[in-house]
Amino acid sequence: MDPTSQTIQQQFQRYYLEPARRITGPQSMANREFGFLLFKEKFMVRHRSFRTNEQLLGAIRDLVPAHVYFSTARYKEPTATMEEKGWEGADLVFDIDADHLDTECKPTHDNWKCKGCGNVGRGSAPKICPSCKNDRFEEQTWLCEKCLRQAKEETEKLLDIVISDFGVDPSNLRIFFSGHRGYHVHVNSKDLSGLDEEERKEIVDYVLGLGLETKLQGLNQTSSGGVTTVEGPMMGEPGWRGRIVTGIYDLLSEGVENLQLGSAQTQAFKEWNREALFTKPFWNSVRGAGLGTWQALALKAVQKKSSRIDTVVTTDIHRLIRLPGTLNGHTGLLAVEVQSERLDDFDPFTESTVFAGSMKVHVKEAPSFRLGTVHLGPFHDESVTLPAAAAMLLLCKRRAEPAT
Amino acid sequence: MLTRADLAKYPFLAEASEYVRELGFSIDDIASPEFTPVLDRATSRLEEALSKGRVSSPATDDERTEILSFPVSNLILSLTGEERAKRRFALAEAKRAYELLRQETPEKLQHIATGTFHWTLRRVDLQLGQRVYDFALALPDYLRNATSLREPKWKLPNRVLDHGFVYTARDETARLLEEEVAGRIVNRSARLPGRPPKLLQPRVEQTRGLISKWLGTPQTFELPKVPVPEAMPPCVRHVIEQLDEAKNVPHMGRFALAAFLLNIGADQEEIVRLFTTKWNTSED
Repeated sequence: MDPTSQTIQQQFQRYYLEPARRITGPQSMANREFGFLLFKEKFMVRHRSFRTNEQLLGAIRDLVPAHVYFSTARYKEPTATMEEKGWEGADLVFDIDADHLDTECKPTHDNWKCKGCGNVGRGSAPKICPSCKNDRFEEQTWLCEKCLRQAKEETEKLLDIVISDFGVDPSNLRIFFSGHRGYHVHVNSKDLSGLDEEERKEIVDYVLGLGLETKLQGLNQTSSGGVTTVEGPMMGEPGWRGRIVTGIYDLLSEGVENLQLGSAQTQAFKEWNREALFTKPFWNSVRGAGLGTWQALALKAVQKKSSRIDTVVTTDIHRLIRLPGTLNGHTGLLAVEVQSERLDDFDPFTESTVFAGSMKVHVKEAPSFRLGTVHLGPFHDESVTLPAAAAMLLLCKRRAEPAT
Repeated sequence: MLTRADLAKYPFLAEASEYVRELGFSIDDIASPEFTPVLDRATSRLEEALSKGRVSSPATDDERTEILSFPVSNLILSLTGEERAKRRFALAEAKRAYELLRQETPEKLQHIATGTFHWTLRRVDLQLGQRVYDFALALPDYLRNATSLREPKWKLPNRVLDHGFVYTARDETARLLEEEVAGRIVNRSARLPGRPPKLLQPRVEQTRGLISKWLGTPQTFELPKVPVPEAMPPCVRHVIEQLDEAKNVPHMGRFALAAFLLNIGADQEEIVRLFTTKWNTSED
């Protein structure tokens, strides 16, 4: 094991060994599979099961893993091989990860290197390398405030859909900060736990607004006596119908100029009182805006109101997902539950730090960042003594090495 | 709520099974002459299903024969042991049911959906724009039946969802029920009698003939006896490529490759040869 991993593991061990440490397993804990990704050779210990929180903590203390996971699925025999586990249903889980968001700040803090030709670039890695067409990259990402704020906004949109459209009782919803670049939403609902992969794919498409046809959400036109009339959904209607209208309202509020409309239409929308969206009917009240314009606006509204969830996590009914209350080996931050009523106020850079004291590290390269109330960096090839949580973050992100 | 005429229309319903049970027939009764119309109707159901993919609803007042012939069709089909015919029969019967269901009152649709199929289905009277909705169907019940329907209008993002319910029109509800009916018939396990009555044997043979006539003889594909590199998953091919280029492959990669090759039945000596030439290992 390299010295950086050794240092991280020592710190993790100290954290987990604290006598007052408690870890709470998921509901139906005995029917879940647990997995531990070890620091050593990135080996995965899988197919473990625990009856009590104490047993689970005992295993974490023994192994001191970089990551702790549990299955979203419940099994008759969680320790058996995949074929013999006996699937009994899975929580509906959503993952919102800044990796999948197109935030403007990415080029300033993320970069990639092609494993084929060594080509480098800023921002998220492309699908294939522009110079050698290879599709494998080494990526360096950073968790930044803007990205995490965006992830939080996506989470808020998701919660609206899950509660208002899917009918999930908020008491069956739990929200977690992953300790890295995003949020997880777990739905524990008997009604939805039996959904298969194909059915979950429909759920995913609904949240993303993928395949949504505005016509099928009621946006259409009729002709009578040579007069064409546009008709469409109204504010306050259920599901995507109402959401399309609020989305259009939001778009217009943010500025008509950004909507890429023709100059006459831009002017017409500027002069139009968008409060008309609250009254009815409004689809024929903007001069020069016909069905085509409204369709384009409606599709933009869908983009705006949809939530950019990770499609794979939700569809996979055998997924292992991070256990709240454990340390994230990518950052040294704690994966923590966030009460939905205070999601807006939640500060991941304060509420998920655990390491106290200070540590000396040699930082290769790091952007400026904040942890708690302390602003740090940028660093470039220098040895510094930092608050332990910040030093751990840099070590875990492989931006620094331990220094003596 | 349901009349005997309804059971004749929908012989897959729980109430129809109950009716058959109450008649108290045993398997030996099939041999009695009064049962001939039932056997004939059972065979015609199968013949129509296999040849046209449809089963027609005859204008008959012999409801008992209609109801009884359905489980007998199932029995004959099971005795042929031809799984693939089962699905065709189920789809044909379900289509027949749809044509009838779409004409039913909302009350009856709701009764059938919630009774036999345990749907959570509420009556609504709702108009959104031009669309009129008669029902609100619980999301899991909707998804179970709509994912196999390919028209864009069935895609969840194109539906109106309201607190866990999907609004549906009457005809749409009947269409979703068709899917449920097909599933129920496919999964219906006909209890095979220990000794099938002799009288059924000709009907079983006749049905076998129909199956090979309309569905053809099934083709079997043999798996290759030796490992075919082109058919290996990308990760395994990647490991082999790396070895070919004499690159170092981590222990886990080597282990995975060896395990994979053993699993697909590669010759052990062949694997060892691969080890020795490529990995420069000794055989000890």
